[in-house]
Amino acid sequence: MSNEAKLWTAPAVIVVGFCIVMLLGIAQPSLHTTMFTIGLYALIALPLGLIYGQGGTISMAQGSFAALGAYTSAILCTRFGFSPTLSVIPAVVMPACVAFLIARPILRLPELSLALVTLSLGTVVAVGLQRGGDFTGSFVGLSGAPPLPLVGNHPVWVATTLWAVVLIVVIMYSHFVHSARGRSLNAIRVDRLLAESMGVNVPFDLSIMFAIAAGIAGLAGWFYVHTLGYIAPDSLGAHTSANILFMVVLGGRRAVLGPVLGATFFTFANDFLPGAETHGLFFGTILVLILLLSPDGILSPQAMRVLRRLFSRRDRVSRARLPGTAEVTEASR
Amino acid sequence: MTLSATGVSIRFGGLVALNNVAVSVSPGEILGLVGPNGAGKTTLFNCLTGVSKPQAGKVQLEGRDISRLSLADRVRLGIGRTFQTPRLDLGSSVADAVMLGFNPRLRQSIVSACLPFSKARRTEDDLSSRARQLIAEFQLTADPDSSAGELSLGHLRLLEVARALASEPRYLLLDEPAAGIDDVDRDLLADAIRNAAARGLGVLLVEHNVGFVAELSHRMVALVSGEVVAEGKPAYVVADPQVVAAYLGVHHVAA
Repeated sequence: MSNEAKLWTAPAVIVVGFCIVMLLGIAQPSLHTTMFTIGLYALIALPLGLIYGQGGTISMAQGSFAALGAYTSAILCTRFGFSPTLSVIPAVVMPACVAFLIARPILRLPELSLALVTLSLGTVVAVGLQRGGDFTGSFVGLSGAPPLPLVGNHPVWVATTLWAVVLIVVIMYSHFVHSARGRSLNAIRVDRLLAESMGVNVPFDLSIMFAIAAGIAGLAGWFYVHTLGYIAPDSLGAHTSANILFMVVLGGRRAVLGPVLGATFFTFANDFLPGAETHGLFFGTILVLILLLSPDGILSPQAMRVLRRLFSRRDRVSRARLPGTAEVTEASR
Repeated sequence: MTLSATGVSIRFGGLVALNNVAVSVSPGEILGLVGPNGAGKTTLFNCLTGVSKPQAGKVQLEGRDISRLSLADRVRLGIGRTFQTPRLDLGSSVADAVMLGFNPRLRQSIVSACLPFSKARRTEDDLSSRARQLIAEFQLTADPDSSAGELSLGHLRLLEVARALASEPRYLLLDEPAAGIDDVDRDLLADAIRNAAARGLGVLLVEHNVGFVAELSHRMVALVSGEVVAEGKPAYVVADPQVVAAYLGVHHVAA
């Protein structure tokens, strides 16, 4: 696979997939809303794929960072008369700053402790929002957040804008993975001592990545609150964080598109499964099966390698059949 | 103009791991550091690379005191190293594993790394071809895109040397590179070390296997129980009664 193909496969899949579903949406308009939900989850899950799949740093706080972003924007718009165009900046910066400040002490913890600490961070945020009185709207939450700038409430345009952002994130993620910085982050996952011996400032790099992940989650929160016009303490939070982690693990934490695949699967399964009480059973079973069959999720490196080998072999065989091209095939390998 | 440790002492609780040890490596020189298990070789190695900090004494790089610098900082100053147990992502390709070695010399911003058509993109092609040259030079594998997990232990050690050289170090510190590898790989490794020294790098070779070191190094230092007991030409150090005693036991010498 050439370098260019490596960089642009994932974005191309996003564009094609988005176009197909949106066209199907002409016949079935509810698909446009579904696409919004998938895009929202994908936007929160993608940076978790980055810090967990590449950096080996688990976080159960992505939902809470999204809530922070949503609340920041809602409070600024409803209480201080900001426009959503302007409040998008604090909606991203606020969760990112919080994440950066708490990152250094907690990111040295082993995986399980880190999961618990980030999960309890979600509880702190939820309690803070519930007890925030009129400022945060306490248990009821905040309503009356203005619609998104330019696109308003039109489902097709909202979904398109959101997916444009997802596309940008996927493009940047793809490029990052195939860069020196991406290799540094991977080295941190494999072995922190190795990363340090390759000149990586491990605590600082991890903190920055954690902050970027939180900032992107905040951006998703901004989309959420200005599309629905409403946010409550339990809209996004600990259960969202758990679902997001499920999507990343299921879809494939190492692959760029893993979180997007996980988000798609989760959203459609949620829509088509009867009875909310059976969801836990269904998702639990799926997760156990996936972890048994392919511990790195559906889009795992092993699965990708098998696919790539199948494709390249077929390619080679078909070319070798043409007379006079055998040497060319050999040399271009 | 050396990498040196002077008067270095480290104790772990009551155990004296290093006691007032001094060693130095000059550019172009292969220094062999030998000693039986528990002699303090790895502790001294860690002290030079920055994994542990000396409790007394100092580590200097060309006159500059680097005792308090972190491992990452020292790598950027030109102290490359390998690990006793190869450390790398066995799931990555051989090319990617070697390309990691360029990182200490790169100052790449996250923004540049994320953007298409950025400076990081142009460097990427350059790094990739340089990594492939190193892979060919070290005969690591015929297919740089194959998984690093498919390499033998000997080739993983060679890969670590190639990766360390990618950071263009001035000193190369090797932690037991010849342990557990076959003769063919050992010869490749010996060639790689000689070539590095010929290019002007100072090489410190920490080894359990005295034969391999004696054959390769210009000068040897023997550590026993945290102290330097012999230093000089390999033939001299190998014949030193204290070294022989430490390796073979006193009774064998007496008999």
